[in-house]
Amino acid sequence: MSANYALEARDLSVRYGGVTANDGVSMHLAQGEIRGLIGPNGAGKSTFIDALSGRRAIAAGSVHLAGSDITALGVVERRLLGLSRSFQRTSIFPGMRIGVQMELAASKIPDADPDEVMRELGLDRLAGRVADEISYGDQRRLDIALALVGRPSVLLLDEPMAGLSVEESMKLARHLRNLARNWGVSVLLVEHDMEVVFGISDSITVLETGKLLAEGTPDEVRAHPKVREAYLGSAA
Amino acid sequence: MSAIITATALEDTQVKRNPGVMRLCAMAAAAVAVGLTVNMSVTSNGLMSLLTQATIYAVFALGLGFLLKQNGMVSFGHALFFGMAGYLVGAAVTLTGWPVGMVVVLTVAAIGMFAFGLALVIVRVPGIAFGMLTLAIGQSFYVLVSKSRGFTGGADGMNINFPAQVFGMELASFQNPSSMFLICWLVLVALVLLLALLLRTGFGPLTEAIRENEERARFIGFRTLLPRAAVFAVSAMVTAVGGVLSALYTGFVSPESLHWSVSGTVLIMVVLGGSRTLWGPAVGAVVYYLFRDFVGEHTTHWMSIFGVSLIAVIVLWPAGIAGGVMRAATSLQRAAARRLA
Repeated sequence: MSANYALEARDLSVRYGGVTANDGVSMHLAQGEIRGLIGPNGAGKSTFIDALSGRRAIAAGSVHLAGSDITALGVVERRLLGLSRSFQRTSIFPGMRIGVQMELAASKIPDADPDEVMRELGLDRLAGRVADEISYGDQRRLDIALALVGRPSVLLLDEPMAGLSVEESMKLARHLRNLARNWGVSVLLVEHDMEVVFGISDSITVLETGKLLAEGTPDEVRAHPKVREAYLGSAA
Repeated sequence: MSAIITATALEDTQVKRNPGVMRLCAMAAAAVAVGLTVNMSVTSNGLMSLLTQATIYAVFALGLGFLLKQNGMVSFGHALFFGMAGYLVGAAVTLTGWPVGMVVVLTVAAIGMFAFGLALVIVRVPGIAFGMLTLAIGQSFYVLVSKSRGFTGGADGMNINFPAQVFGMELASFQNPSSMFLICWLVLVALVLLLALLLRTGFGPLTEAIRENEERARFIGFRTLLPRAAVFAVSAMVTAVGGVLSALYTGFVSPESLHWSVSGTVLIMVVLGGSRTLWGPAVGAVVYYLFRDFVGEHTTHWMSIFGVSLIAVIVLWPAGIAGGVMRAATSLQRAAARRLA
């Protein structure tokens, strides 16, 4: 059945020395699905994304992309197979023109169209600008745009709305919703803005101290007593 | 390496980003004209000799600056490639009797391959540790050559008996300051042009991206080790050309040419000239030599004055003389555009 999933993690564990950051976490993403990944600080969300993207070595478990085991593959191979990501801290090429870095990203992927991604994220008007001269919000969108070049099958987003205004966050959330719907991109979204996560996610996974606490639709997670107790509290 | 360099998808953007080929060629022609003018107008043999030395070191600085520009890495051991080129040419000319042209090409190619292999190991090491590695490797070769009293002449150095004809020209042309200045100048201009053309291919933005954010470059699908090693190899080859010119000019090579202090001096030239442009380090080399000569005539403490001047340049123009010139040119362009508007 795993071949039906765009991405699947099976019993994934990651350790930093004696500390277990992820402890046997399993999760899957269907094609075009947006799954929110939430949990308190230190729950292991970013570590989980690092492990899925190949940035962090895993101690146990496996990662499958469209049914193929990619656990042994490196960052570059995973990206070329369609697993892409953005970063918690904006990760762009600050001294390069936006058009140049988008072209560079596209040059590795056959038939990739950087212009469509720039248009989709409203960066086309900035193509000639150097990245460190544009606003922080535009830099965050550029980070996502670099990850979206070539229409990857899976996009891992680590707090993409961090530092954005409410208006910018909602705009970006609408973009993500459209991309998942129109391009069939599956998105795993780590985000602290609960309004955004519950607003655009098809499903939500909750981690606590590296372990799976709950998962389900936004309504199911919102109503889950352990989630309410551990994380959402009265805000839910 | 061609797979790394070729990225035709970037061509359109590159045309917008870099000066066009015709513009580059026009700038190269203007630079050649400057060299010819200097060659014809300077009558002092001493000054011409100084300018020849400066141009040889400008080639060295071009190589070291290319490494800093495209890899963001500082090498304290690049004199290894400068001195090694002299020794290899000297050894090959003495032992084989092959044509000097062939020896030079083989020497530069061999140093390129050696540097590429070395880089595959050392460019993985980040920051200051990389600099220390280059220092250690350079110094180990310096000690090796200094102590090898046999063939290399040890600390006394090695005389190179070039044949009477080199590259179809009289050997005297290479050892006369006036003609050698022109030869070195033409080589310098040709190398700057070649590197500028190389950076117009996909190799330019790729290595720039890796320098800016290596992790992001990997996450957009690029393996970063080979491009970084390629930059190191190209840098070493350009430096080796400087070493060959020095050997041709003096007919002599000594272990001092491999010493870390030579790398350090050329690094000062790079910082002075600025490494954000290809031509900045070459400007730094010429300014360094002229400063040393003119101020050194009046005081033995010229290095102290130079040090203070260097601090002033770094504070006022962090991107060096070339950066300052570029900034001033941009300001003038904007002012002119405002007036026209």
